[in-house]
Amino acid sequence: MTDLQQQTLRAVVNRIIPPDDYPGAWDAGVGDYLTRQFEADLAPQLELYCAGLDAVEAESLTRFQSSFARLTIAEQDATLVHIEAGELLTSWPIPPARFFELLVNTTAEGYYSEPEQGGNRAAIAWAMTGFDEHVQS
Amino acid sequence: MKHYDAIIIGTGAAGGIVACVLAEAGKQVLLLERGPALSFTDVGRDHLRNQRLSLYGHNAGPELEGNPRVFVDPEGRARLVRPHELDYHNNAACVGGGTRVYGAQAWRFCPDDFRMASKYGVPKGSSLADWPLSYEELEPFYDRAEWELGVAGDGQAIQDQVPRRRGYPLPPVSPSPQTAALKRGAQKLGWITSPVPLLINTVPYGGREACISCKYCVGFACPTDAKNGAHNTVIPRALTTGLCELLTGAVAERLEVDARGNVNGVSYFVQTNGRTEQRSARAKVVIVSAGAVESARLLLNSHSGHHPQGLGNEHDQVGRNLQGHLYPRAYGLMAERIFTGVGPGVTVATTQFNHGNDGVVGGGMLADDFIKPPIDFWYDSLPPDLPRWGLANKRFMRDNYTRVLHVRGPVQDIPNSEGRVTIDTAVRDHWGIPVARLSGTTHPATITAAEFMRERGVEWLRASGCDKIWSTRPELMLSGRQHQAGTCRMGHDAQVSVTDEWGRIHNHDNLFVVDGSLHVTNGGFNPVLTIMALAFRSAEHIAHAL
Ligand SMILES: Cc1cc2nc3c(=O)[nH]c(=O)nc-3n(C[C@H](O)[C@H](O)[C@H](O)COP(=O)(O)OP(=O)(O)OC[C@H]3O[C@@H](n4cnc5c(N)ncnc54)[C@H](O)[C@@H]3O)c2cc1C
Repeated sequence: MTDLQQQTLRAVVNRIIPPDDYPGAWDAGVGDYLTRQFEADLAPQLELYCAGLDAVEAESLTRFQSSFARLTIAEQDATLVHIEAGELLTSWPIPPARFFELLVNTTAEGYYSEPEQGGNRAAIAWAMTGFDEHVQS
Repeated sequence: MKHYDAIIIGTGAAGGIVACVLAEAGKQVLLLERGPALSFTDVGRDHLRNQRLSLYGHNAGPELEGNPRVFVDPEGRARLVRPHELDYHNNAACVGGGTRVYGAQAWRFCPDDFRMASKYGVPKGSSLADWPLSYEELEPFYDRAEWELGVAGDGQAIQDQVPRRRGYPLPPVSPSPQTAALKRGAQKLGWITSPVPLLINTVPYGGREACISCKYCVGFACPTDAKNGAHNTVIPRALTTGLCELLTGAVAERLEVDARGNVNGVSYFVQTNGRTEQRSARAKVVIVSAGAVESARLLLNSHSGHHPQGLGNEHDQVGRNLQGHLYPRAYGLMAERIFTGVGPGVTVATTQFNHGNDGVVGGGMLADDFIKPPIDFWYDSLPPDLPRWGLANKRFMRDNYTRVLHVRGPVQDIPNSEGRVTIDTAVRDHWGIPVARLSGTTHPATITAAEFMRERGVEWLRASGCDKIWSTRPELMLSGRQHQAGTCRMGHDAQVSVTDEWGRIHNHDNLFVVDGSLHVTNGGFNPVLTIMALAFRSAEHIAHAL
């Protein structure tokens, strides 16, 4: 994954699970979860992720003349809503809805599964949901 | 070559019990299990790879590589499936079979479940039939399973529906806030409720500890070994006799016959010193308990000059009537927190609708659910109108994980002969054995029953104080999966059944099936206690005959 793709990934997962008084996806370690999975179960999909992230960036440049990571939150969300609905200004080399669903699902997997998977740092998502309130910080 | 009294294939719910009864009766037993014995650590706590949520793998086998099946969808398209995929219809492959990681709900069927055809007539296109035995004949063996493995429950409230000679050996699981809400709701509706019986030590039993209320029953192993399965009850007893030889990593390939076509042993593969070796063993009786899909596969693969269609398959019955359970469910939001983090989580059930429902053949039981890890909840339980991402989704997880009340339950499957297991000779597993091919769907009457039960679920949640309620409509599909059954059904008529009421394959003296395959119908309840009761009954019969 290129630096730019990584930057876009970070911005996108932070809109999928945004920060509030509990951390967003990236700060909770979803990036680490995905990095591990790109070398394991998600290895066959790595190309799809990369192509999708490039396409998100291209869509953002066309829509707002700016890199996705630098858009306002409202602009980022608007872009993702369009991607999810398949209403696009650019032509996508991959099915946008499928890419986005995969990204949403794997972000949630990293955020809500056990910390040993790389995400859900200090079991913060379990404290948030109430599944396990004994968080090791 | 060593001669045994009996060779048993599979160490699941049924195989373990038969091994125990035969070995304690002084018989020499060879017990073959294709999977390994799994420790608590082996099974682990992976939220993404377990027998309940199997996104990338699972934790109780079979191995993802080398064990394919072929699945034919309702449109007739065939594809290869791997063991952790839903359409594989997996249970487990390890010592204990499904019981190593099951939720351990321990329901008896009710008397009418054994006479479905007499009670309802046979819906067009279905193969609904009566069992060749009654509830009353099985009752002593239900009792035995409950006391020898250890079941916690209280059946008093449903004594009329499910008569029992005595209580359970263990007190039921403690109620939780959701229990109170659901009981109140049922009371308003005039519905009967009872605690959910579980093969779980609520207090120490059988020389093992009590449950410590962790959150990991379904799909995981128990940290205090308080969940009672074949692996920690009957199999250790069998081994203690010194008469039962357990071979793990031993994959039965086919049953062997002598020059006259009588079964006399098993050929199997086993790993020794890292190399796969093919072996044969001989026995007076051979007992198949590989689970409903694999038992059918094994019999079909055991064709020979005398039995060109496979063993027990003269009338093309082996593998037919595959059934399981559709699982209607409903979710609702409570104003107050109901989650306490105290496992198992399942506490209360209604059996109000197992029978006697207008326009419905059968019906089912509804209960609350085992604790779901958050990622499981995220995939399974969110309202369909909630955005899948963004702050709204996160807030819902944050505010409502502890407030969603969930009821679900198995619906009596109306079987048909086209829901079936066959063999695909073009696809072989790691050992070169032709794999199982699964095709067909359940009967549309099952969908009617499932939809009826979904509506009851919604009604129950509303009466229990939920305002927002959601659920999904059942769809016509093949049912099987973890509650798989029916593929070698019992019966008096060899034209339309595979075994007699003892699991003895018609026209064979010494070949038995003893697992879920025998179920003529699968009840409106989780099946395992019935599998266990039948196994005790068949095992006694076999022990006397040997
Ligand atoms: C996660 C989960 C939760 C469940 N929860 C419940 C519940 O709460 N209540 C309930 O009633 N039921 C539950 N079940 C279902 C229950 O476990 C099954 O109904 C039961 O285990 C079936 O018993 P069986 O003897 O028919 O087969 P199994 O238990 O599947 O045993 C078959 C065994 O045979 C072995 N085998 C197969 N082929 C071969 C071969 N060729 N050679 C050697 N060995 C072979 C398999 O590896 C397996 O160990 C659950 C199952 C799972 C997986």
